[in-house]
Amino acid sequence: MNNQFPNSIRIFVFSLLALGVFLLALGGYIPSLTRAVLTPLTSTQTWVSRQFKGLEDFFSAPRDVALIRQENEELEAENARLEAQIVELQQQLLEYEILSALLDFARAQPEHKYLGATVIGRDPSPFLNYIIINRGSDDGLLRGMPVVSQNGLVGRVAQVTAKGARVQLITDPSVRINVQIQPSQSEAVLTGTITGDIRLEQIPQDAGVSPGNLILTSGLGGNYPANIIVGQVTSVRSPEYALFQSASVQPVTDFKDLDIVLVITNFNPVEASPLIPTPETP
Amino acid sequence: MISILLSIPFLSLITVIQTSVVSRMPLLQGTADLVMVVIIAWALQERVKHPWQWAITGGILTDFFSGLPFGIYTLSYLTLTLLARLLGRRLWQFSFLIQLFLTLLGTMLIHGMSTLVIFLQGTRLEIISVLQSITLPSLLLNLMLTIPVFIIMGDLANQVYPQKTEL
Repeated sequence: MNNQFPNSIRIFVFSLLALGVFLLALGGYIPSLTRAVLTPLTSTQTWVSRQFKGLEDFFSAPRDVALIRQENEELEAENARLEAQIVELQQQLLEYEILSALLDFARAQPEHKYLGATVIGRDPSPFLNYIIINRGSDDGLLRGMPVVSQNGLVGRVAQVTAKGARVQLITDPSVRINVQIQPSQSEAVLTGTITGDIRLEQIPQDAGVSPGNLILTSGLGGNYPANIIVGQVTSVRSPEYALFQSASVQPVTDFKDLDIVLVITNFNPVEASPLIPTPETP
Repeated sequence: MISILLSIPFLSLITVIQTSVVSRMPLLQGTADLVMVVIIAWALQERVKHPWQWAITGGILTDFFSGLPFGIYTLSYLTLTLLARLLGRRLWQFSFLIQLFLTLLGTMLIHGMSTLVIFLQGTRLEIISVLQSITLPSLLLNLMLTIPVFIIMGDLANQVYPQKTEL
């Protein structure tokens, strides 16, 4: 070809071709031409690339799955650890809130000395409302010491062992507590029931009692210190010909969720039984 | 011998679960008596040779944790063990039915004795309230416990008294 066409003609032909391309570009024909040329190329490229990617995934997948599984296991372990930490922190927060409330209660009544105790069990008999706490005679606990929560009266220590004690709740059916109704300051006797409710008895007929009145310990009888809140009157029954009125009481303490309690350690209950005369046998 | 040695830690654990977990999950005012169900299930296992020892251990441990007069649970569990052995020998094909029957009977027996003791101590009791709030819910919970406890105690008896095969 070099022999047939001299350089000058080749230059002329290429110049013409270049000019033609330039004119086609000016006329807007180039994109359609390139599209016509590139479309099959792109399709081919896509197909080849897809096949290559498939092959690459096929050969590299096992290694990736193993890696992903390992990472997954690590993340699951981390997740479990964090979840356990959250539960632990929530528990600590709950305990902190209870302790904070107990501290507020103790600060509000500074005349008493308190010892904190955790509730570790309940009486196996459903007929008795007792709790078991993790403080005993080794910690200075004595029978008869009053027990309170951040809300109010819980009960009193009924039996003590070296490392634990059984506390009789105020809902126990054998409980009798002398109380005072506020604001009328009338005296009454608070009793537990077999169903776990508490009620007021022996309220004088002339005593002004109405729902919403507060019930506080009166201190009479010497079994409990005075002025510890017990509950609130919910309803009053006043039969026309009865000697006394009676009332239902909502306790301030939620006995089902008792976790931590305070034992009042500087209160010495009065043992009244020697003072009660016994009938002499003939 | 293994059975006797096993009874103290096993029943201690069961009593701790009873006071720490089971008694804190009441239905109305009723709670299940896990120790009683365990002792009945153990006494009904044919291979078991020392059910009395289990009844006494379980009874003493429960009496120790309870505010009821000492001996009520021991006496009740011994009575139930006696009945379980008597009925189990005669009706050995129906041991699970006997378990259900004795659970019902045991619940009524223990609750009856508890009611009597509390009444004699001077506490007013309304029998209808006792039945509705305590006895019937407790009975339901005890009956619900019988199935898993009976299976577990059967497996435990097989472990403690393995069956001898003749060659």
